Amino acid sequence: MDKKYGVYICTGCGIGDTLDMEDLVYVPDEEGINCTTHPFLCSKEGVALIQKDVDDEKVNAMVIGACSRRVNFDVFNFEGCIVERANLREGVVWPHSREKYPKLEKDQKDDEEHFDPIQMKAEDYIKMGMIRVEKVKLPEPYKTESFSRKILVLGGGVTGMSSALDAAKAGYDVTIVEKTDKLGGYAANMRSQMPVCEPFETLRPSIADDLIAEVESFSNIDIKTTTEVARIAGQPGEFLVTLKTPGEKIAFDVPFPLPEEMLVDENGKDLTAEDAHAKFLEYNEGREDILKRDPDGELYGAVILAAGWRPDVLEGEKYEHLGIDLDDVVTNDEFEKIAAKGKIVRPSDGKEAKNVVFIQSPGKDEDDADFEYTGSVTSQVALKQAKYVRDDYQDGKAYIIYQHMRTPGLQEYFYKSMQQEDGIFMTKGAVTEVAPQGNGLSVTATNTLLGENLAIKADMVVVAGGMVPVTKDDPVINLAYRQGPGFRDNDIFGQYADSNYICFPYETQRTGIYAAGAVRRAMTIEESMEDATGAALKAIQCIESSNKGISVHPRSGDMTFPDFFFQRCTQCKRCTVECPFGALDDDEKGTPMANPTRCRRCGTCMGACPERIISFADYTIDSIGSQVKAIGVPSEDDYDEPPFRFLALICENDAFPALDMVGMNRMDYSPNVRFIPIRCLGSFNVIWVKDALAQGMDGVILIGCKHGDDYQCHFIKGSELAETRIKKIGDALSSLALEKERVAFTEIAIDEYDKLPEIVNAFADEVEALGPNPFKGF
Amino acid sequence: MIEKYLAQPDLDFIAQVKGLGGETLKKCYQCATCSIACPIAPDDSPFPRKEMIAASWGLKDRLVNSGDIWLCHQCGDCTDLCPRGAAPGDVLAAVRSVAITEYAQPKALAKAVNDPKKLPILLAVPAVWFAILAFITMTAGETMEKIFHTIFGDVLGGRLHWSHASEGADHVIAQANFFSTWFVDMTFVPIATAVVVIFFLSLKNFLNDIHENAVLEGKTDKTTLDYKEFFQALLRVIPTILKHDKFNECESNKDRATPHMMVLYSFIGLFIVTAVCGMMLYLGGLPGPYSQLNPIKWLANIGGVALTIGGALMIKNRFDKKDDQITSYKDWFILVVVFSLGLTGLLTEMARLAHMAGASYFFYYLHLIAIFELFAFLPFSKMAHLVYRLTAMTYAEYGNRR
Repeated sequence: MDKKYGVYICTGCGIGDTLDMEDLVYVPDEEGINCTTHPFLCSKEGVALIQKDVDDEKVNAMVIGACSRRVNFDVFNFEGCIVERANLREGVVWPHSREKYPKLEKDQKDDEEHFDPIQMKAEDYIKMGMIRVEKVKLPEPYKTESFSRKILVLGGGVTGMSSALDAAKAGYDVTIVEKTDKLGGYAANMRSQMPVCEPFETLRPSIADDLIAEVESFSNIDIKTTTEVARIAGQPGEFLVTLKTPGEKIAFDVPFPLPEEMLVDENGKDLTAEDAHAKFLEYNEGREDILKRDPDGELYGAVILAAGWRPDVLEGEKYEHLGIDLDDVVTNDEFEKIAAKGKIVRPSDGKEAKNVVFIQSPGKDEDDADFEYTGSVTSQVALKQAKYVRDDYQDGKAYIIYQHMRTPGLQEYFYKSMQQEDGIFMTKGAVTEVAPQGNGLSVTATNTLLGENLAIKADMVVVAGGMVPVTKDDPVINLAYRQGPGFRDNDIFGQYADSNYICFPYETQRTGIYAAGAVRRAMTIEESMEDATGAALKAIQCIESSNKGISVHPRSGDMTFPDFFFQRCTQCKRCTVECPFGALDDDEKGTPMANPTRCRRCGTCMGACPERIISFADYTIDSIGSQVKAIGVPSEDDYDEPPFRFLALICENDAFPALDMVGMNRMDYSPNVRFIPIRCLGSFNVIWVKDALAQGMDGVILIGCKHGDDYQCHFIKGSELAETRIKKIGDALSSLALEKERVAFTEIAIDEYDKLPEIVNAFADEVEALGPNPFKGF
Repeated sequence: MIEKYLAQPDLDFIAQVKGLGGETLKKCYQCATCSIACPIAPDDSPFPRKEMIAASWGLKDRLVNSGDIWLCHQCGDCTDLCPRGAAPGDVLAAVRSVAITEYAQPKALAKAVNDPKKLPILLAVPAVWFAILAFITMTAGETMEKIFHTIFGDVLGGRLHWSHASEGADHVIAQANFFSTWFVDMTFVPIATAVVVIFFLSLKNFLNDIHENAVLEGKTDKTTLDYKEFFQALLRVIPTILKHDKFNECESNKDRATPHMMVLYSFIGLFIVTAVCGMMLYLGGLPGPYSQLNPIKWLANIGGVALTIGGALMIKNRFDKKDDQITSYKDWFILVVVFSLGLTGLLTEMARLAHMAGASYFFYYLHLIAIFELFAFLPFSKMAHLVYRLTAMTYAEYGNRR
């Protein structure tokens, strides 16, 4: 692309009033680049002005000095052009006012005493924009070699069938893979189901049979029962899937990583890499390497994981006080099976069970937690099963002892309706004992709503066991990925398959694999069906995005992808290991193999690479590094007391919007900080710190999203990795006689924007106390 | 072994409460807004939150013997504020009905009084009985006089006559010519005696039960029942009741206090009138009707008017609040009886003064039926709250329930 540069500066929204336009226009002019100002650049006339230059082939790489890139992105969108937005409004004139930083008088302009920090910042932003358009390229889409629009659904229960139906109705071919010999899952074996429609008051027959009939009527749904996944290789758009009969051992079973206990020798010492690899091969004997393609494999575009749950097994000392070993103490799952067979009878002697106590929480200790893997669904199941007792016996009595009674949304009506049953009795309470008494059981509870310790005589006791996601026992998806067959970090979600169920439901840490239903959290049939729709839509989005060569999520529509300059690769594997999405597989030598449609374009690999050989078309080590270098760093040659200069690398997902909000709220902070938004702190490369300090900047701060168990990082690991990198840099700084404090790392949530000025100022003050960078002016 | 309470829900009790105007009892989700809203609930172990869960659990043993249910004046503040529409005020009212039925003997009669299907029988009994008496009075006066004379002879100096009609009764309208005063008193004196006996037996059990319950639930600092102290407490409570202090603490139903007060005072007044008239007749030998200038007549008229207006206002209130407050059969029964009592009494008198003998006698007939309904069913109808509430309030005073 033969670049033709141009700069457009808007003087509206206070920009022209605050800044000295003549001086600002001089910045591109000096470089021989045409600069146009307009009082209202985002107006029809303003845009037409730029469009005319584009049409006249005067410009195809432009800097627009106006508002933040987060607004008007659709207005300043010129096809085939590189557009960089210099944030003069939210970044410069809104946060910093002339009341605080007065304009310079004419005679002050050229002395060595006075400087205008606002003008300096604006000029830097224009310069940084100009260098960036010079350094980046227009992206071209990545196309896979082969492509499939078929969707693979793992699990033939309600969730799986629902998502298959949704996808099929949208015109996609679907294959349902079900481990057992028939469709329907757990729902097919229930007596009744909670209400799914108005008035949400009465039980209904299970929807499973209707769904089975509907699924079977679709010609574009292929049903494979008694089947499971041996491996899923490849990437979205061209997943190469090997199916097999459960229990069968085949060559394309995916290799499993060594269990931790096998990674040490007899003396408890870690095995060397070679020994570990040998052991790994031994452990996976008869299984092909992940890179070996199955010639008989079938291609799929995306996968929906709807493998569901299994009833929790309650045993051991923890539940001893609940009489869990007694015949007439059953789990809600066992009770459902009894109910499905006919009238509720006791397992011990087959006698009618008219008095049934439902226990929702283990009780005993002060802890009011429910059983593991439970949720609102468990509360609702207790209500449903209590109703069974009432339906079977006119004089039936069902007691529910709970710590939490959760009936979200319209299920509140179901709760109300069950509450109206004369024979259903509910109380909050902690069950202390279930013991045999006479011919039945006696249940004791404390802290009840009745104000005292309660004893209830029961024929039968039902404890609310949880719904354990199958991903706890088994990866299920069996990915032929170098990072392993399952999802990483499932332990922070209690083994549920998830990435962030609030911000990005259905997304997993593997692009193209979308989880729905009880594998994500304990949920009702109604919720599972809604979830199924969400996952089906995500699968379709994935297929359509991959087909266009654009990113699916969260940088939806991003056409760039990582590009490797392999000649300089040292096979250190850091990129393969650090990629949060397992997008990179390496061969025996350790050379990374990119799977661009698995990639989310966060740039973590780019930040990780010590050789700096990974880049994106419009985002490279050099493009950011050059922006850093474009920042003017005044020294004692320029002013008697030159202002400090700080670099802030700011995550564009949450922290950058927060910074915009700071501007919108006219909150001032040190104007000596230059912000460069980056895709994710994971893409932060330490070379940028060196670039900044080497040219005399006084400090660098990284601002990203929160990490940890409740992480807010859009790319899961980014800020965590950046923090590690920053820590390592500290030693290098000491060797250069630079204080560690010159490089800082901070995390902020998007709604904590009000804290941002404080954080920035505190950092600036701390570094100013250290004095200027000794390398300044070199 | 920790102390624990064996919960034995009673499905019949739940059905009974629901049937008596407490159909919302299962709606409660124990937020305790009601206990906060209640202007008269004590700070310690307040009601009606705990009563609501006991009711929804069907714990009859926790409710019918609780004094707290009687402390409630059904002002409706809790019902107004209940976020769930569980109407605790109405539920407590229903529970009180159950408690009345529970303590009253004979049970069959108690059940009948609260059963609208039995109403025709309950009305037919006095209607037939008084018709027979009227028939005898009007047709067999002389025979009765003879029977009287044979039995009593000249006892009390021959002052005992069959007829209590005033001298020259032929040209004055006197109810005694229609219903013999003897018959009236022979009907009501035994009934009143029975009522007193029934109440005495019921209250004895009731008082013991609420005491036991209070001790069990820690609502009192007294361990034994001291009747002397209890009586002193009664004297302290009576002014509160007369002044309707508790009633006036209410927000929602403030306007109920006045009619209730009118009815209460008129009953007291009419009780005095009845007693004085009885003495005038049997001790003074002065049968009615009395002159309108007679002070006792003033009291009687004021009482009658207050009763009628109070009853009418109460009925009006119930209609106005149809959406906020449940009015069940037991409420209508007593409201209509009270109102009819006053109205028929006044109509009887007015018809008499207007020299409309037939109308006066007819109204008197209805009046007697109304009196019968009130008195005979007193221990079983809502009217019994008079003694239960008085007892419970006295006990609360005695037991230092604050």
